[in-house]
Amino acid sequence: MIFIAPTGSQQTEVAEPSVDIATDEVVDLQVPWVVIVWNDPINLMSYVSFVLQKLFGYPKAKADILMMDVHEKGRAVVSNGPREKAEIDVFRLHEHGLWATMQQDT
Amino acid sequence: MKRRKREGPVIARENDMFEITLSSDDRSTLLHFVDQLSEILAMGPDDVRLRRLFPTAYNENPEHDAEYQGYMRDELTQSRSASIAVVKEVLESTELITASQLHAFMTVLNNLRLVLGTLLDVGEDDFEDDIDENDPTFGQWQLYGYLGWLLEWTISALSGEDN
Repeated sequence: MIFIAPTGSQQTEVAEPSVDIATDEVVDLQVPWVVIVWNDPINLMSYVSFVLQKLFGYPKAKADILMMDVHEKGRAVVSNGPREKAEIDVFRLHEHGLWATMQQDT
Repeated sequence: MKRRKREGPVIARENDMFEITLSSDDRSTLLHFVDQLSEILAMGPDDVRLRRLFPTAYNENPEHDAEYQGYMRDELTQSRSASIAVVKEVLESTELITASQLHAFMTVLNNLRLVLGTLLDVGEDDFEDDIDENDPTFGQWQLYGYLGWLLEWTISALSGEDN
């Protein structure tokens, strides 16, 4: 038996993070994209800070501030740039198990 | 962060190498769960247990997200499988390991916590120490706590702390 297999009562749906920015169907190439990390009760605070330091080269002090924003405000913008760069950043954050999304900065 | 008085299970050695001092029993147990993670990953990213391992990238634009998931999901699965392969080698040997190997160890520990935490529906105010030993999920909570403990030491070692 798989120890980390779900049983009926333990299955859980994880809510999607909500954003209050209206969706714009037209993608403006001039508007930069932002990468957002969302709060998650499972990831350790030390882990989130360490990953931000390793992936983006941020000093520990900056990574800790972003991590605390994620923890206390529910989210933080951790990087920005063209869409291709933002997608790579999101991928690397997902690779490390962080809950990251991207959207155009408005 | 608290300073720890005792030497932990992950220790920085000379020349940017690291030692994992876990017992053979602990290594076997971890290997068992890493194998389970492999099995779950093989079932595909839509498995409910992997919800946090394959998150949405564009949560305000489903079309963009479908496109993104189409070309990134396989790459993400391959990346996780590669890390698991590294960790299996690490756990099967007691030799010193590199920072890169320890980084893979860290990410796999975190993957296991994310899967287990999803099953346990862990919230901000949930702690393993609060779970009664008669609770049917007691064993899973103990494992969750153990993984967190080991992950903290791994991060400390990689950060150059406590050594």
